[in-house]
Amino acid sequence: MRYVLALMILALILGCAKEATREGIVLKVWETYNSEERPVFLSLVEEFEKQHPGIKIEAVNIPFDGLEPKILTALATQTAPDIARVDVAFLPKLAIRGALYALDQFRVESIKSELRPVALSSCIVDGKTYGIPDQVNGLCLFYNKELFREAGLDPNKPPSSWDEFIDYAKKLTNKEKGVYGFGMKNSLWWTLPFIYSFGGDLLTPDNKHCALTSDEAIAGFQFKVDLYAKYRVEGGAWRSGGIRDDMGFQSQVYAMIFNGPWAVKGLERSGIDFGVALIPKGPKGYATNVGGNNMVVFSTSKHPKEAAQFLMFIASKDSQAKWANSLGQVPVNMLADGLIDFSRHPYLKIFMEQMKYAKPRPPIASYPEIENDVNPEMQAALDGKKSVREAMEAACKKVDAILQEEEALKAGLKKQAR
Amino acid sequence: MILLYVALTFAAFVVLFPFIWMIITAFKQPGTEFSSQILPSKPTLENFKRVFTEFGFVRYFLNSTIVAVSSGVLATLLASLAAYAFTFKNFVFKEKMYGLIIASMMVPGLMYVVPQFAIINKLGWMNTYRAMIVPHLANVFGLFLLRQYMGTIPKSLIDAAKMDGANDLQIYGRIVIPLSLPIVATLFLLTFQFHWSNFLWQLIVTNKENLYTVPVGLAMFKQQHEELYTLKMAASAVSIVPISLIFVFAQRYFIEGITRGAVKE
Repeated sequence: MRYVLALMILALILGCAKEATREGIVLKVWETYNSEERPVFLSLVEEFEKQHPGIKIEAVNIPFDGLEPKILTALATQTAPDIARVDVAFLPKLAIRGALYALDQFRVESIKSELRPVALSSCIVDGKTYGIPDQVNGLCLFYNKELFREAGLDPNKPPSSWDEFIDYAKKLTNKEKGVYGFGMKNSLWWTLPFIYSFGGDLLTPDNKHCALTSDEAIAGFQFKVDLYAKYRVEGGAWRSGGIRDDMGFQSQVYAMIFNGPWAVKGLERSGIDFGVALIPKGPKGYATNVGGNNMVVFSTSKHPKEAAQFLMFIASKDSQAKWANSLGQVPVNMLADGLIDFSRHPYLKIFMEQMKYAKPRPPIASYPEIENDVNPEMQAALDGKKSVREAMEAACKKVDAILQEEEALKAGLKKQAR
Repeated sequence: MILLYVALTFAAFVVLFPFIWMIITAFKQPGTEFSSQILPSKPTLENFKRVFTEFGFVRYFLNSTIVAVSSGVLATLLASLAAYAFTFKNFVFKEKMYGLIIASMMVPGLMYVVPQFAIINKLGWMNTYRAMIVPHLANVFGLFLLRQYMGTIPKSLIDAAKMDGANDLQIYGRIVIPLSLPIVATLFLLTFQFHWSNFLWQLIVTNKENLYTVPVGLAMFKQQHEELYTLKMAASAVSIVPISLIFVFAQRYFIEGITRGAVKE
């Protein structure tokens, strides 16, 4: 009992210790960098502070899954930080609710032309710039060189078209050994490369209607379904209870999977002999999707101008060159491309090449809701419970309803603002 | 009989399998967590070392201990005092008040998050242990649990004590609490466990890494695209130690509780 009391008293004392007040401007940043990225980010922070005496950066590392509820609670009580690093899909949701500063007023124009367009486009909502990208990536094809050799394939010649891909996958599939040519996920984002490479898209160009029922989109998704149901080269990684694609790639069950730059470190550690290639060409050429993170400034910030300065610093040529060289990630600033030492990061060239064929997601606030509604329909088609067309038609109905809701919400918010 | 043992052993294995997997994975080299080998080929303590040196889990464990022990003790104390009053004392609107308090259990806990956060923020309690402890001290479920139990203590016992000149505090401390010890221990265990594993609230009220608790620290291993399983499992394996220990000690009370009323003297 005495120890308990002592602990409680300790708690009160520690709790009461007031923060020392600092002079100058303090910018609070909530970020979600992983344990490898964090030291690089902090060294950039240090550099920024050196260049801008009088501005201090207070960075807090937040678990990725906890960021959204934390930000939403903070917004409800006006206690948001100055800056946060958010997933590209979260930015539009914050933007239409008026939670963010439009940065155009802080002379971000100068840096916009240097940034990779696929990354920048995820920051632009209704023509205004609500963030600066700090990370961009897209899916590529990862393949197991050892399994390629065993199947009599040249490990330095990954498949370049979907036809070749099927051919390779058939040769790689060996059901007796429990090896499959391909392992895939069932989710809209992970299906977009198929749809794009067949010339399809998620929404119509005006972002007002669902486009998944177009012949091209259906052909793309049909191809993905066929890999499992018709060609039987996919091991059912998407099924609940199936061996997940990335885990199966590690345990050499799947010879090829889609994955992104983030997977390289882990695979290198596991000692698997793997290669990275562009996702095979479809009837409409190479294609992939876009993911990543953007830095935003909350509208409750008292120092938006300085915050914008920090955002531009992180996305600047030098910072991004350092970022890419230390971590093997695609720089968001294209001027940094020439400063990269590819000998240290053999796969980075492919990742950057793949970004040339990347297509950003539409900047709509309800993208996560769309995923939630489309994924079960896709699952039904993969399971063979619905035809691809039926599934896409059902999905599109839900997507259109979501888009209408978003329009209504936006109109309501605009009225409120007035 | 043998069949029963086989079935029970199988059931035990199913229940224990995640724990076994957690412990095995904690000793694996990073990157080999999903390889086809079940046992690590080269067992390592590296994961445990990194959890405590690189990821600040020493501090997280200290924070969790402070928060879970203080809340467990204080919440149990308050609930038992309230239960005592509601069981043995008479005051105006007693049953109406009790009904009102119990009715608050109908509101889902998540509904409280934003208003509670607003209050904590107004009080200037952000980034303090108080913020993590105080909002959950009024434990309605605990009050209900203890009142139900205290109701079974014979009134004559209390009256006898009163006759002997005992005041309320003495009756509470000398008679009621010793008699309710099993249920008090249960409540302590439940509140301790709740606070030990509470994630969302502790995350929301802290903006400083040195105030993070164990669950928040564990969440850091799940990054945007990948999950650091070996490290997460090492930290999780350590994090269940306090709960297991408390359970082992508290178990004595549970067994005592069952045998206590068995023989009438």
